[in-house]
Amino acid sequence: MWRYVLRRLIESAVTLVLVTIVVFIGVRALPGDPARALAAEESDPETIAAIRAEYGLDQPIPVQYVRYVGKAVQGDLGTSARTRLSVTETIGHALPVTLQLATFAIVVAVLIGVGAGVVAAVRRRTASEWVANSVALLGLSIPNFWFGLMAVLIFAVAYPILPASGFVSVFDNPVESFRHLLMPAIVLGSGLAAVIMRQTRSAMLEALSADYVRTARAKGLGGTQVVLGHALRNSLIVVTTIVGLQLGLLISGAVVTEQIFVLPGFGKLTIDAVFTRDYPMIQGVVLVTATAYIGINLLVDLLYSVIDPRIRVGGRVT
Amino acid sequence: MTLELVPVKETGPAAPAPPGSRRRALRRVLRNPLAALGLVIVVVALLAAALANLVTPFPYDRTDFSAALQPPSPAHWFGTDELGRDQFSRVIFGLRASVEVGVMSVALSLVVGVPLGLLAGFYGWLDPVVSRLTDTLLAFPFLVLAVGLAAIVGPSLTIATIAIAAAQIPAVVRVTRSETLHLREMDYVAAAIADGASDAVLLGRHILPNAVNALIVQATVAVPAAIIGESVLSFLGLGVRPPTPSLGIMLASAQPLFRDGPWLVVFPGVAIVLLTLAMNLVGDGLRDALDPREVRR
Repeated sequence: MWRYVLRRLIESAVTLVLVTIVVFIGVRALPGDPARALAAEESDPETIAAIRAEYGLDQPIPVQYVRYVGKAVQGDLGTSARTRLSVTETIGHALPVTLQLATFAIVVAVLIGVGAGVVAAVRRRTASEWVANSVALLGLSIPNFWFGLMAVLIFAVAYPILPASGFVSVFDNPVESFRHLLMPAIVLGSGLAAVIMRQTRSAMLEALSADYVRTARAKGLGGTQVVLGHALRNSLIVVTTIVGLQLGLLISGAVVTEQIFVLPGFGKLTIDAVFTRDYPMIQGVVLVTATAYIGINLLVDLLYSVIDPRIRVGGRVT
Repeated sequence: MTLELVPVKETGPAAPAPPGSRRRALRRVLRNPLAALGLVIVVVALLAAALANLVTPFPYDRTDFSAALQPPSPAHWFGTDELGRDQFSRVIFGLRASVEVGVMSVALSLVVGVPLGLLAGFYGWLDPVVSRLTDTLLAFPFLVLAVGLAAIVGPSLTIATIAIAAAQIPAVVRVTRSETLHLREMDYVAAAIADGASDAVLLGRHILPNAVNALIVQATVAVPAAIIGESVLSFLGLGVRPPTPSLGIMLASAQPLFRDGPWLVVFPGVAIVLLTLAMNLVGDGLRDALDPREVRR
């Protein structure tokens, strides 16, 4: 077990180092002089030279890289070229918005996905299975930004029952927060719900034909008890993994969802940084996203190996 | 929305396909009514996109301010936008951009991913190297990757294609790698080795052809995902640049015109959904037809 954990930790660390190198070189490859971008209006050569020295831009690339990583480890990601605010702080303000949105979306996705998946598996060859399957297929085929636009069109423009944009923190006003986040969360969670539904359905079908379910039935347990207590419990292992693996989908989805519903979150920060060519900010958001992503993957893998011992015994799942 | 691609299956049956099985598979797909319907829609859409110049009633960039923001009518089936451009013509040309990016990016991901997967599955010592590389790629959520590339090189159709391909490479590598791992252990491969076959012959003649089914299934999921990816990138302003119509761009420019022209939001979206839905139906049908385990069920 510990050997497996150690190996995954080392693998993740290697990936993380590769990511920082890619991010660093990527931003250095950007056209234009970062010092000039930082200097903004005042573009006399002396100021630019001063800025270049201040940020260490006159040093060789490897030296700059080590400096950057050294500071990043201490939580200093530099200063935004546009707002002059600390990148770390700006990200700190945006992150809670995205986290609240993502949490809400996951809840929505799990409720819909698991519910529909169970129904589709238990009521095979009925109208309910057909409906659940069709909705899942639609969920996979509808781009969530269009789903978002249509939702705004229907529920905010044609029948104004929900706000079309804006963010209210759940800690300030839970009711308003719910109203503001309901549409974005459903939009963001819809794709995930479809994936969860399909996985739940196939895991349930497998579980329902397993020997232990037959044994449970033979012992005289009722249908609901068998479905929920035995089959679903074992299917949830798969679902947990899927949710973990799909968190990246959620990060990408959040960018689009925040753009449509004008939520001041991490995704909007990313897009704004690109369009204003705010290089320190781009570097920061990409680094944070990648780190979070690697961390989540590591966690999912470790969790999975705890749940299913075959993985660490067999080494790698192939 | 399926941007992040998970491999459709990592553990395949990987039994060598008997000759002629693919044609039988196609016939089985056509017997499945939903898949057949999907195939018809896909073919019609592809034809319309390919012959866009012939089937559209107006040039996609012709403005007509006397007919600006008109709802759908016999003259303009999908209405007109704020510049009086015919939306039907623009949707057809937008389809062309979407299909181009979708097919090109998947082709690119196969060109890069298949050799990597073959090598990683065949030569054990290469496996950790390739796996780290794909992990690094996977560490960037698709959009962040695209955003980064667009920031470096500037947004364009080519960049969108490369970004989408890059996002799909890890899934292709994984599928190819796991198929190779399975096939390598097959008796007929051992027989070929005993017969003195070189590594190139083993990979090219014995392993790759039998991994094709899994790759076809992967591609049927990847193309619609790439098409959605393109529309998302264009919607965010990171893909096709105006005035070239793309379904994503049409939706982006429709967003401020919600109240005055709701049809501007509806039609391009319906086009994307119909196309990807049809492709997913064909893909599901193909998967059932190509997977021997499904058939026995």
